[in-house]
Amino acid sequence: MSVRSVALVGGVTTKFGVRPATWSELAQEVGAALFRAVPDLRAEEVDSLFVGAAEPERFAFQSHVAPLAAEQMGLRPTHIIQRTELACASGQSAIRSAYAAIASGLSEVAVAVGVEKMNLPSMAEASTAMGCVMDRPWDGPHGATAPPFFAMVAQRHQLEHGTTDEQMAAVSEKNHRFANANPTAQFYEKKFSREKLLHLPLVAPPLRLGDCSSMTDGAAAVVLVAEERARQFTDTPAWIRGTGQYSNFHNLAHAGSLTDWVGLRHAAREAFGRAGIGPNDLDFAEVHDCFTISEIIEYEMFGWCPPGQGGRFAADGQGDIGGKLVVNPRGGLLGCGHPLGATGVAQAVEVLQQFQARVPPARAVPDPEWALVHNLSGSANVHSVMIYQRGGAG
Amino acid sequence: MSSASRSRRPAPTTAPPAAEPRSSPAPAAAPETRPREKRPFLLDFFPLDTPDQTRLSAFYDRLRTGHLSTTRCPKDRSLHWPPRTACPDCHTEELDWVDLPELGKIYAFSAVLGGAPLGMESEVPFAVGLVDLDGAPLRLFGRIEGRPWNELRIGQAVRVETYDIGDGRYFYRFRVRD
Repeated sequence: MSVRSVALVGGVTTKFGVRPATWSELAQEVGAALFRAVPDLRAEEVDSLFVGAAEPERFAFQSHVAPLAAEQMGLRPTHIIQRTELACASGQSAIRSAYAAIASGLSEVAVAVGVEKMNLPSMAEASTAMGCVMDRPWDGPHGATAPPFFAMVAQRHQLEHGTTDEQMAAVSEKNHRFANANPTAQFYEKKFSREKLLHLPLVAPPLRLGDCSSMTDGAAAVVLVAEERARQFTDTPAWIRGTGQYSNFHNLAHAGSLTDWVGLRHAAREAFGRAGIGPNDLDFAEVHDCFTISEIIEYEMFGWCPPGQGGRFAADGQGDIGGKLVVNPRGGLLGCGHPLGATGVAQAVEVLQQFQARVPPARAVPDPEWALVHNLSGSANVHSVMIYQRGGAG
Repeated sequence: MSSASRSRRPAPTTAPPAAEPRSSPAPAAAPETRPREKRPFLLDFFPLDTPDQTRLSAFYDRLRTGHLSTTRCPKDRSLHWPPRTACPDCHTEELDWVDLPELGKIYAFSAVLGGAPLGMESEVPFAVGLVDLDGAPLRLFGRIEGRPWNELRIGQAVRVETYDIGDGRYFYRFRVRD
């Protein structure tokens, strides 16, 4: 079976935040927005739909969400319709699945959509849902959720490498500042100085509120097509050039080193190998900053700085515009919020909009050609990576 | 290994005997005698522990007698966590039960100061950590009791403790050694 190139040709993100809207209403909203954003898209030519949704059973009391999303969006997929669930990476999983379907010839035009409704009347119920991501009968009864796990990661990184609270705040300040230039971000209108971030309440020490991404409602959708169809939609598509994924444990007992993310190094190596580029060829990256410490370790694991130097990389502004490469110009999960299923799709939308020079100057990457998207899921036990190249000239 | 009770529900007055390795018949559990809380299964992190619900009920029976145990593969001698019904390496389904060391040291810890799951809100703040067991190649995650979270430190000695969760079911946690 020959593999053909796949292009991302359009996409859209709803407003992220605490939304007065149900899961289905968010799906309707992103569907309507998608057809407005991609006027050349005709519903009847979308043969496949991939729905990234992490926990609709828990957050929205709803299963079988793929046909539900299709109905909300006004689609009638004829080839493939399925949900992809990989916790925090459910959205990227939808895109990877659409990519595989098109590359293999099973699909010509596919939509990947991510939807998550996380804000419930009861915070404890929402936290219970998040706890189910862990090994529920073994780690769950102890109260394992993401914040205490990533807090231990931060504690070990501080111990092993001297990383400071101030360096972690530098990540949060940067991503919130980018979010101030992204109207779809949950914290679009909220300003966070490093000083302010360092005085927010502790959530799971050493992590403070500003070190943690939030519970967010939102949706995002992208259109992927086979190479012959790309020009029908845009002169500047985002070509998928490489992808990689790695899963190496689930129960927390098997995490090994908390600060050396072996799975990320494997996934990155696969993705870079397929794309034929290296980490220093990237112009920007959308990485999974579910917590500030995550982004710091990701700098190291992707090879943008030596192991242990991620904190310094952040404090020196190397992930900022004008630095080594721009990291999370969208505003990241810290600034945009983290609707689990929607995040990975929204990151891909950002890639396309940066390539098409359709973002405000305050977060615009100068003349980008190569971009990377990364999601971790759960306790950083799975890593998913995609590499995009701007189309156009050729 | 110590065994403690929380006061929400009375602990059973007599504990069943420890289960022998898998070849022995499991001790008879009597779920109908336990005053269980009415929390729906899908909102309860604690597992159903009876033989009609899990093939690992021996694990919970051993907790009830104060022993934290796990399975070991008799063929490749690999020690599992959590206990399993099939070896992940050689896939045999005939596994042995072994008790784990009672003592360990904190590898990393944090605390939940807010946003606790349902049923745990009243326990906030509580400390959790990863503990390296002395003499076994296992690093287990669990609650750490006995000191406020801000008095814990990496390398601190802890011991395994089993406890009645309040409805007759047992679980395990760590307690700082005096």
